[in-house]
Amino acid sequence: MSAVAKADYSTYPTLSLQQAQRAAEQLLALNGDGAPVDDALLTKITRFYNREARLLDEERFSDWYNLLADDIFYWAPLQENRFRRDRRATIDPRHMAFFDERKADIAVRIGRLTSNLVWTEDPPTRHVYVISNIEAFATPVAGEYETHSTFIQYRNRSEHDETTLAGRRRDILRAVGDGFQIVRRLILLPQSILLTKNLTNFF
Amino acid sequence: MQMQDLVEAATGRVDRRIFWDQAIYEQEQKQIFARVWLFVAHESQIAAPGAFVTTYMGEDSVIVARGDDASINVFLNSCPHRGNRVCFADSGQARSFTCNYHGWAFGLEGDLKKMPKMGLYKATPGFRMEDWGLKRARVAAYKGLVFATFDENVPGLETWLGDFRWYLDAVLDVEEGGTEFLAGGATRSVMNCNWKFPADNFAGDIYHALWTHLGGAEPTLGRHGGVIVENEGSYQVSVNGHGWEFNDSYYGNAATMGDKEILRYMKSRRDAITARLGAFRANMWGSVASATVFPNFSFLPGYFTFRVFQPKGPLKTEIHAWTLVPKNMPDDIKDRFRRGSMRTFSPSGILEMDDGENWEHSTRANAGYVTRHQSLCYAMAPEGQLHDDSLPGIVHSGQLSDANQRAFYQRWAELMDAPDWDSVNFAPSKMAEQEAAE
Repeated sequence: MSAVAKADYSTYPTLSLQQAQRAAEQLLALNGDGAPVDDALLTKITRFYNREARLLDEERFSDWYNLLADDIFYWAPLQENRFRRDRRATIDPRHMAFFDERKADIAVRIGRLTSNLVWTEDPPTRHVYVISNIEAFATPVAGEYETHSTFIQYRNRSEHDETTLAGRRRDILRAVGDGFQIVRRLILLPQSILLTKNLTNFF
Repeated sequence: MQMQDLVEAATGRVDRRIFWDQAIYEQEQKQIFARVWLFVAHESQIAAPGAFVTTYMGEDSVIVARGDDASINVFLNSCPHRGNRVCFADSGQARSFTCNYHGWAFGLEGDLKKMPKMGLYKATPGFRMEDWGLKRARVAAYKGLVFATFDENVPGLETWLGDFRWYLDAVLDVEEGGTEFLAGGATRSVMNCNWKFPADNFAGDIYHALWTHLGGAEPTLGRHGGVIVENEGSYQVSVNGHGWEFNDSYYGNAATMGDKEILRYMKSRRDAITARLGAFRANMWGSVASATVFPNFSFLPGYFTFRVFQPKGPLKTEIHAWTLVPKNMPDDIKDRFRRGSMRTFSPSGILEMDDGENWEHSTRANAGYVTRHQSLCYAMAPEGQLHDDSLPGIVHSGQLSDANQRAFYQRWAELMDAPDWDSVNFAPSKMAEQEAAE
């Protein structure tokens, strides 16, 4: 865990409130309007996501953490049941969320998971993270791509404890070296009441 | 079966059947949730006329709506015609609530206003619109928190809360201008546990933090020893079954959010809050503490997460949580509390994530016949009761104790057995005496 061990997390990369709000607005505006990337790039992006999901399933948190850009904005907003006539935005960056994180916050979470003091993860939980429906588009920034994907996150622990969560992700990926880094991630869980006790895993 | 036989408050023996038995659960719905004052909303959630939220009182779905005269109305969310829900939104703005089934429409006070082909009812002998409104609850508020009850005879909210109000001011009245829930609705999640485990935990169990939360506290407080809890300078107070355990650290809980800007802000407010509330209550504001307003409304000073543990059967609980802040706190600090409470006490919170497993298995284990006939131990009582006239309620020095939890279950058993309100005790209120003298 060299990337995140024994740290003063206040020195870790973060965003200002204004930067985070701009990032949220950027994510909410992503609608697949850009030019689709070519097949070779789509294959590369698909490989990236397959590996990312496997790193999480295998609890390789440090390797996963290294896929995150320093300016990452990582967000899983709440969704209320609202009447269609309701003019308020369903998703609002000023509202409570399940995740509303910068890189430093994710390091804190990994710090917990790797403390060896989390009794609920011992014996460990088993995860399968399935990523599908991957679409990728060019953005106005060279080397950054808008992607949309769906997921199924299956969790099983102890004897009968299991949870299946399905949802959508919107990302901005940045080409770095031979691979990518995640710069923005919007996680859309379609449940108004989270029908399980917690979200112990990353998306 | 008398519930007082299942709870030995003096020695701290609690019969495990109360966490499992369906018949006991049904009796809780009747004797507790249908009778007592229950938290339903914060006034800030329904600020304007026509604003509403939906929630639950026990398993009864209710609508909380602000009327045109600014009054707050609470009524059942079930059409008296065929029983369907009349409102499926969690919050919003409405002139009326119309049932999807046959189109009966109800006003902001729950009154039946109209339905399709009203003439059919006008031609029906004896039918009166006023007989078929949505059943209304009594409503009362304390410093922004709105409570309701379906019982006509329960004493008023000021008696129900009693002198717990004096302590509540340490989170509800720290700044001029009152408080608000941060916007965006409740964070809701489901736990397969009996509702009493989280409620009793918040009433008085700091003991678990020393072990359960070692991992969650490690990143922000440091390895082992990071969670500092001592009986020196700490207390448990209990009034009418409501419980609050706390120390005098001012921002001990807040520190585990790991945000230095929050601590800097809290320090900057310390003199003003001390001047307003006195040092004793000011030191409670964000300290290492937790509290439950009986039966199922709990909060954590410092993180300022306020939550209802909604019963959904003996083996299932829904958590509805909000974050409460002083209205006049700067916006950027409010946002830090929004994210800080999310990162610690929400379904993704590094501390809350450690709790659910415990409460679920404390509940599930009772499937075993032999297991559920073993009592649970709520015996810890290292310090005796403290008799200090300056502190209202039943006070124990030392927050590491089961005193509040024993009082919680004593109250629970008392209400479960009580045939009427004359047979329920309310602690004499120093605040009421003072109010009368003034």
